[in-house]
Amino acid sequence: MKTSKRNNSLECGGQAPLWPTFANKAINLHRTSERQFDQSAAGPAHSKEAKLTIRSLTLLICLFTCGFVSGQAPAPQATPPPPATPRSVQFPKPLEKTLANGLRVIVIERRGTPLVAAQLIIRNGGEVDPPELAGLANMTADLLTKGTEKRTATQIAEAIEALGASLDSAARWDASRVSLNMMSSKLAPAMEIFSDVVRHPTFKEDEIERLRQQTLDDLTVELGDPGSIGRYVAARVVFGDAPYGQPLIGTPQTIARIAKQDLARFHHKYYRPDNAILVIGGEIKSADAFKLAQQYFGDWKKPSDPLPAVSPPKAPASAGPRVVVVDKPDAGQAAVAVARAGIDRADADYFRGIVTNSVLSGYSGRLNQEIRIKRGLSYGAGSTLDTRRNVGPFVASAQTKNTSAAQVASLLLEEVKRLASAPVPDIELNPRKAVVIGNFARNLETAAGLVSQIGSLALYGISFDEINRYITNVQGVTASDVQRFSGSRLDAKGINIVIVGNASDFLPELRKQFPTIEVIPAAELDLNTARLRKNPQG
Amino acid sequence: MTYQKVRALLVLFALVLVPIFAINLMAQSSMPRIKFSERTLANGMRVLSAVDQSSPTVAIQVWYHVGSKDDPEQRSGFAHLFEHIMFKATRNMKSEMMDRLTEDVGGFNNAFTNPDVTVYYEVVPSNYLETLLWAEAERLSGLTVDEPNFKSERSVVQEEFRQGVLAPPYGMLDYLIEQQSFITHPYKRSTIGSIEDLDAATLENVRAFHSTFYRPDNATLVVIGDFDPKQFDAWVDKYFGILKKPALPLPRVTIKEPERTAERRITHYGSNVPLPAIALTYLTPPEKNPDAEPLRVAATILSQGESSRLYRALIYEQQVAQSADATPDLREDAGLFYFNLVLASGKKPEDGERALLAEIKKLRDALVSSAELDKAKNQLVTNELRQRETSNGKALALGSAAVLLGDPNRVNTDLSKLQAVTAADVQRVMKKYFTDANRLVIYYLPESAKPATTRSGGHEGEQALGGRK
Repeated sequence: MKTSKRNNSLECGGQAPLWPTFANKAINLHRTSERQFDQSAAGPAHSKEAKLTIRSLTLLICLFTCGFVSGQAPAPQATPPPPATPRSVQFPKPLEKTLANGLRVIVIERRGTPLVAAQLIIRNGGEVDPPELAGLANMTADLLTKGTEKRTATQIAEAIEALGASLDSAARWDASRVSLNMMSSKLAPAMEIFSDVVRHPTFKEDEIERLRQQTLDDLTVELGDPGSIGRYVAARVVFGDAPYGQPLIGTPQTIARIAKQDLARFHHKYYRPDNAILVIGGEIKSADAFKLAQQYFGDWKKPSDPLPAVSPPKAPASAGPRVVVVDKPDAGQAAVAVARAGIDRADADYFRGIVTNSVLSGYSGRLNQEIRIKRGLSYGAGSTLDTRRNVGPFVASAQTKNTSAAQVASLLLEEVKRLASAPVPDIELNPRKAVVIGNFARNLETAAGLVSQIGSLALYGISFDEINRYITNVQGVTASDVQRFSGSRLDAKGINIVIVGNASDFLPELRKQFPTIEVIPAAELDLNTARLRKNPQG
Repeated sequence: MTYQKVRALLVLFALVLVPIFAINLMAQSSMPRIKFSERTLANGMRVLSAVDQSSPTVAIQVWYHVGSKDDPEQRSGFAHLFEHIMFKATRNMKSEMMDRLTEDVGGFNNAFTNPDVTVYYEVVPSNYLETLLWAEAERLSGLTVDEPNFKSERSVVQEEFRQGVLAPPYGMLDYLIEQQSFITHPYKRSTIGSIEDLDAATLENVRAFHSTFYRPDNATLVVIGDFDPKQFDAWVDKYFGILKKPALPLPRVTIKEPERTAERRITHYGSNVPLPAIALTYLTPPEKNPDAEPLRVAATILSQGESSRLYRALIYEQQVAQSADATPDLREDAGLFYFNLVLASGKKPEDGERALLAEIKKLRDALVSSAELDKAKNQLVTNELRQRETSNGKALALGSAAVLLGDPNRVNTDLSKLQAVTAADVQRVMKKYFTDANRLVIYYLPESAKPATTRSGGHEGEQALGGRK
């Protein structure tokens, strides 16, 4: 069994979970060689082939902290030695081409480890699911690897795994992705299967029924976890009946309704070259990567019907903030969240937003300082500002023993409010910016991380120049920007509260702070609508 | 030469050569060696380092050869609680100063405790290397944590217990697998411990634990990244070389876990069990043993990926399980190999057990094909490559070889051991360890499944456990 002091949860970015997920990653009860080492992450990415040089990351970081490490200089044992002169860092440069069929292909070369990652991104995911068929994008993506015109599910798994490769397909918000990861030497044979599953899935009836049953079981297990329930409820509370409010996986009722023709229609409508992006990165020559892209995706026909229109931004429901308690008497811990609408990825306030969020979140962020470090109330408290094509959620959350749930809810709320009420001192703000920059660099460090970050920029139509401006943009955010952003975009007046746990342990205390609370027994919870209750009278 | 071409050639060679030959070609061409330096200071501290200037960062790890098997009596969870305390004050560092030196400069830190080791690690811009060496030496040479900080951190660990064991649906099953698999060896205490034992821990325990186990001759420093080796050696001498090696010998666990002689069965009724689950555990040799590699290959054949035997038989074809895993949890003193299944809805635990045992029997009764063996090796090599994409991952591989396997060179040589595993090796370890007498079976069921006569909670069949705590 391995137990960690903490986990490094990723903040912000397009694919961040609605709720911090340190629980699942950091507490790895059983030690296994595979799992033990999976949370490694180190410094900035670098490529010997890179053509772009970024201003020194370490120099900037040093400037942030010189006050700390210089000044006093008594005996060497009593004070930390100061940092040496920093070295500069380079980020790899993405190259791109658009094929004749409209497929956008992006390649990033990086030497060091003989691994390659590839991602085929479809520009639509769960947000286009009709409400009565929630989970359709998810099921479509899951079925891609379950049979094509020339391979059965078993043959696909056999062929990919014989190469030591992994092939995963999943739908998220705004996108569906098929991801491939393997040794560089195995790329060519894997690409053929990769292309086959994207282009020629057959959606066989027996596979649909098998997957339906598995998805229902997965949902049953997920809904045994207070953190998962909290994530689903928070989404409904923030977005109401709008697309981001429904569960990506679907509900037992919608999963039961999805039929073969829905899946085939979804695939036909959205899985097309002019609605897709292919990203290949790692130890590979860019010319070879473009050649493989042309070879396996060049003859992918663009349908004659027009591209599906991207839905206009939908304003989240604004029925006023709610306080929702899901009463789960057997919960071993309570999951507590405060949540509201945040910003979209293209928002001009994006960098102000991620820096603001970093003041709250991360190990030394205010939430963890107040809730874990000062009071010992949780293993970890944090927040995510999940930026999507349309306005995504801002969620601050922690898990705590049932009896301290009300206290944790007010601490979360208090910290969000405090951000707007006074400027963050520079001595606190500068280190938080260093955290944002360090995380950004580390996210580019592995082939899979690099591909996923570049893919996310491409998905949201952000220029790759943003990589080069990233450090400057983060550094340019001031204390008054943070205060203004908090006041206008994260206003605590619009914030909802969600607690999943044993209500009798915290409800009396919670009622003192919030007179109007919706208490929903776990057995009565209905994720199909914003009402959240099976029986509106109950 | 691609893998496919190699396989086409194989027909020409004797069968025994097949897997060795194929994998040798593949792995030699793809797995970069970690070229490290090794030295031992006069005080017994071991130092391993490797220069990698691909990015201006450095990964620093200190491995202490102490884990939860060394928890004091009645203090289960203590080694891990102690790990948390190592982030509190020292003579010259305030509480959480390690975060100021790492997080605040764009780096990060963390630590983990397992049954055998406690590992602290940081990744920072490389110009901070000396600063971090100073800080690690500082917390090795003494802690000055006070009562309020100690109690607050103990509460954090208790929340970690709730978050890992009590809140998620199968957290308690994982806990039981660890706790019930060993009868005598201290591995029977789970690393996270218990709320009660954590409550009983004191500051005096902290002081005693530090002086007993946190000493240079029980520590291995691993540094990989951007640095000048000569300057690094000088810093190591300056900050770690001056520390004294205590005169007292290091205590080591000598208790042996007895062999199992008959199948044991436990049923646990949990309050939050969305779908029933089962676990089967088997004792195996420890990870230094040559059988470790065939056991890892067997686990990969059984449960890595959708072409694995358990996925195919239990999840895909029979649809008896929602999830199925085989885990080789091979430790320093004794190995554990366990299976856990969450059943598909409507299925009985007996169905899952029967299906799982049939798959184990198949792997015992018949040789795996060379294609299936090669697939498993390819998967294991690719996993290893992914781990080694970062300096921190490389340092974990190197530290693990040095501390847990007793020889840092194994970070480079174990791959050829993996390549040498034959179908016969896999069958031999299956026959040797996966016997009826060596099996513990845990049924993990919802309260609603409990027979009316035994409503007292906890396990049934405790009698069979012979008065264990």
